[in-house]
Formats: sequence, C-alpha cells, structure tokens
Amino acid sequence: MRILLDKLLVNYPYFAAMILFIIGAFTVMTRSNLFKKLIGINIMESAIFLMFIAAGNIRGGAVPILDEANPQAVYINPLPSALMLTGIVVSVSVTAFALALIIRLYQSYGTTDARRIAELRKR
Amino acid sequence: MTTTIEAHLPVFVVIMPLFVAFILPTFARRIRLVEGLVTATTVLGFLGAGYLASLVLIRNGNPISYSLGGWPAPWGIQLSVGDLSCLFLLMVASVSLPVALFAADNMTHEVGGPQRATRFYVLYLLLGGAMAGMAVTSDLFNVFVLVEVATLSCCGLVSSSNQPRAAEAAFNYLILATLGSALILGGIGFLYMITGHLNMGFASQELNRVWQDYPHVVWMALSFLLVGFGVKSALFPLHVWLPDAHSAAPSPASAILSGLAVKGYAICLIKVLFNVFGIALIRDLSMHRILTLLGMIAIIAGSLFALTQDKLKRRLAFSTVAQVGYIFLGLGLANSMSLTGTLFHMASHAVIKSGLFLAAGAIIAATGKDRISEMAGVGKKMPITMAVFTICSVSLVGIPLFSGFIGKWNLLLGSLEAGNRLAQAVIILGSVLCAGYLFPIIRVAYFEPAPAADWQDPGLPQKTALILLAAWVMILGAVPGPFLELAKRAALDLLVVK
Repeated sequence: MRILLDKLLVNYPYFAAMILFIIGAFTVMTRSNLFKKLIGINIMESAIFLMFIAAGNIRGGAVPILDEANPQAVYINPLPSALMLTGIVVSVSVTAFALALIIRLYQSYGTTDARRIAELRKR
Repeated sequence: MTTTIEAHLPVFVVIMPLFVAFILPTFARRIRLVEGLVTATTVLGFLGAGYLASLVLIRNGNPISYSLGGWPAPWGIQLSVGDLSCLFLLMVASVSLPVALFAADNMTHEVGGPQRATRFYVLYLLLGGAMAGMAVTSDLFNVFVLVEVATLSCCGLVSSSNQPRAAEAAFNYLILATLGSALILGGIGFLYMITGHLNMGFASQELNRVWQDYPHVVWMALSFLLVGFGVKSALFPLHVWLPDAHSAAPSPASAILSGLAVKGYAICLIKVLFNVFGIALIRDLSMHRILTLLGMIAIIAGSLFALTQDKLKRRLAFSTVAQVGYIFLGLGLANSMSLTGTLFHMASHAVIKSGLFLAAGAIIAATGKDRISEMAGVGKKMPITMAVFTICSVSLVGIPLFSGFIGKWNLLLGSLEAGNRLAQAVIILGSVLCAGYLFPIIRVAYFEPAPAADWQDPGLPQKTALILLAAWVMILGAVPGPFLELAKRAALDLLVVK
C-alpha cells in the first residue's frame, strides 16, 4: 500500500492524465448532447497531451536553452512539448469541423441531441 | 534533372497531391480546370508510384530511404520506400485514378454545384496525399499527423453531399475517429516514453532491448494502438460508424473510403506492429492470437450483418467490415503465406470494393432506387455497369482466375501452415457468406423482369472508370505474378526478427 501511494505521489501527472482520460471517454460514450460529446473529446485529448508533456519533463531540469555559464545543467526534453503543439493544432481543427457539423445538424433538425436526431431521421 | 526527381520521388508522391489540393480552391469557378488538375495529379501519382516500384525492384527490395530536409534519421523525419510501401502506393494510385475519372463526370450532379465539387476534390487529394504519406513514412509522430489528415478529409468527404443524414453520419464518424486518434497518440506516447525515439527503426531496436523492464507500458502501448487503429480501420466491434458513413457519402467518396481509407490505417498498424514491436515481441505477448480471434469474429459478423441489409450501399459497407476481418486474420496468423495473402487481399479488395461502390453509385443515380429488392432488371438496362458489378462480386467471393481468389488462397495456405483449423473453416465460410450476400443482387438484376423505365448506362467517362477497375480485377487475377511477388517480399520483410 505504501509503495503504491509513493508511486502515485511521484507519478501524479500520469494519474491526473488517466483520470482526465476516463472522464473524457465516459462523457463521449454516455452523453447524447452533441456539444457534450465534443467537450468529452477535448478533455480526452488534453489528457493525452498532459501525459506526453509529463513524459518529457525532468524534475529540476532547466529550460532547454544552452547555457554556457552552467554546462552541467540537466535540460528537460523539449521534443514532447513541440509535438504536442502539433497535437493541439489538430485538436482545434477537429473541434472546428465538429462545430460546423453541429450547426448543420441544428439547422436541419432543430436540436443538438443525438438521440432525438436519430428519432427524427427514422420518421 | 532526372536524378534530382529520382532522388526526391519518395517525398514528391506525398507533397504533390497536398500541394494541388491547396491550390484547387483558387480555380473553383472553372470546374473543368479543377477536374483536369485532379486527373493529372492522379496520373502523375500513378507514374510516380510505378517508377518508385521499379526502382525498388532494381534495388532488389532494399528500401530507398529519404531524410526530410536533409536531417539524418534519429533527428529528422525519415521516409523509407520498400516493398510494402510500393505495394500500397500502387494500390492507392490504381484506385484513385478511376475514381477521379468517375467523379469528374458525376460529382457536380451528386453534391449539387461546382463549388461543392471543388471542395470534394480538395478533400479527395488531401486523402490521397495522406495515404501516400502513410505508405512511405517511417516516423511514429508522422504517422499520427497523417492519420489525422486522413481522418478529417474522410469526415469531410462523408459530409460533402450536405444532406442532413450525411452530416449526422460524419459527426458520429468524427467523434469515434477522434477517440481513435487520441488512443493512437497515447500509444505513440507510451512508446516514446520507453524508447526515446520516434523513428520506427531506432524505436524498434531500443524496444527490443528494454521491453522486459517495462512490460506494463508495452502492453498499454500495444492495446492503445490496436484499439485506435481498430476503430479507424473498422475492426468488428469498433465498426459502428462505418455503415452509416459509407452509405451516406457520395458514391465516389464511398468507393475511396471503403476501398482505400480503411486500408491506410491497416497499413499503419502493420508498420507499427511488425516494424516497431517486431514479430518476436508479438509472439511473446500472444498478440497474434488476439488479432486472429478478432479477425475471425469480424469475418462472420460482418458477413451476417451484410446478409440482412436491403439497401445496396449498406450491404457493400458491411461487406467491407467482413473483408477487414480477413486482413486482421492474416496478420494474426503471422507467417509468410498469410501475410502475403493479407497484403494481396488488401490490394485486390481495394480495387474490387471501389468497383462495386462505383457501379452501385451508377445504378442508384440512373434508377433513383437504393434498395436491392427494387433493382429487378437492371442488368438488361445497364449491361456494362452490371457486368462490372458481377465481375467484382465474383472476384470478391474468390472464384479462381479472379483477384480475390489469390489473396484468399494464400490466406488459406497460411492458416494450414499455422495449423489453425478454425481459421480455415472461417475463411471458407466467409467466402460462402460473401456469395450469399452478393449473388442475390446479381440474380435480381439479371433474372427478374425489368420494369418499363428508361434506365441507361452512365456516360463515357464513368463507363471508362468502371471498365478500368474491372480490367484491374481481371489483370490482378489472371497475371498476379509481379504483384504477388511484391506482396511476398513485403511479407518476408515484415517477418525478419530484429
């Protein structure tokens, strides 16, 4: 138990990411409101970004800019952060496209509830 | 000049469609020019893919590697073109050319207006570029970016007809596909955490050295990647988005989505599984058993669902679910025969399913009916379309002398080699079921009296596209030699223990 707790405390960013991921996935699966589904997707992606960036972090590491005065410095890994910038751009474009689709659906069905839309379509 | 082009060809086949896609909207008012540009791009892509294949053939299968921006491998993005990439590039090129021809004749009519048609072409070329990129890239993060480009353009293609039904299907597809890409990104993140590399070759070396220290992380990475790519390539329990999306899309879009897009993600999964994890690690983790099981379930369930559909395009869409099962089954059996079968079946299914969807599109456009039970007599009124449909169906079922047979035959030999009785039974049962859901369409079309309606074969460009695809099916079936050889060498390449 102690060991588990210690691990949890040391690796708290990963646990936070896991919890966020589960919240996001749960929202996507269970909510029928299209906006809430979209928010769930965004939460899930944030969880992945958090995990990725935490993987590049080194406790006590310096900003990754070469410092002549202090050559022994430990730098954090900048690559995951750079990659996640791309990830965020992708996630923003997905969100924009999904919002456009929601507008289209609202115009034709007058609702943003997925179940209601399925009912209306069958009629 | 030629050497410059030759040296940069691996990146050229990816960049060219993307570049043309971005300049297309400026010509939106001149739809003929747009169509000409798209056709020219696909022809150029075809030539490029063919030339690359010949280069690899001359180098005896040694992959051509290309460093983007001149940065060498562990730092920069590396493209590598081997047998597998060539096979997939040829497949993309040979399908996208006829589909572009078909779309040029019917797209303006199908989506309503040249403006919309231009948007369709932009997405079409983006998807083509992303597919080509998936074939040649050997960088994990690059895989994620290309997967995202492909996903967004697929969703856009589904909704390009602007019907409310299509928008709904596209939204569901988008949500599930984004879930899939989040999982893929997570899986890549786990791999990066333990290997410190994004280049597939380097990551693979590192992974095989250290994986025993982090068994849980390796499991997480594998399961995230499997589910992520599984959602995107419509592996059975995760296929729920596919029937709606593929049947609501305009016909050329469904042809390209069903024929190519799902295969693109499958190729990415193959690359990640065999080039990063490697066959030894897959066997150690019993991953091949899971893949085999999922494949078998997909074949049976997809075929059974297809049997119950009365709408033509939905039936074809469920048939794709079943055929994706064959691909995963072959991956799971993981010997040289089954992998050859999988790769060949992938290529032949791409051609066959595009042909089926385009023929279905032509029939639906001409008759205005989308139910199979209402298609009595189509075969007499639209002989060429229905002939192409028949050739493709017969080939998908796996009658000898047609291309579907060779893929399935190799899969069967692979399952014999693996000693998996159940897989043998499922492969054969899948073929029988496939006949069960495709042949009734042919029977209704040819042997039931035609109503007095004025249905006609589509115009010359559409007919050319259909005949091109049918010719591909026949050529792949009658003279499979070079393609089979390519698939065989790619399969052996995947099985090398690193």
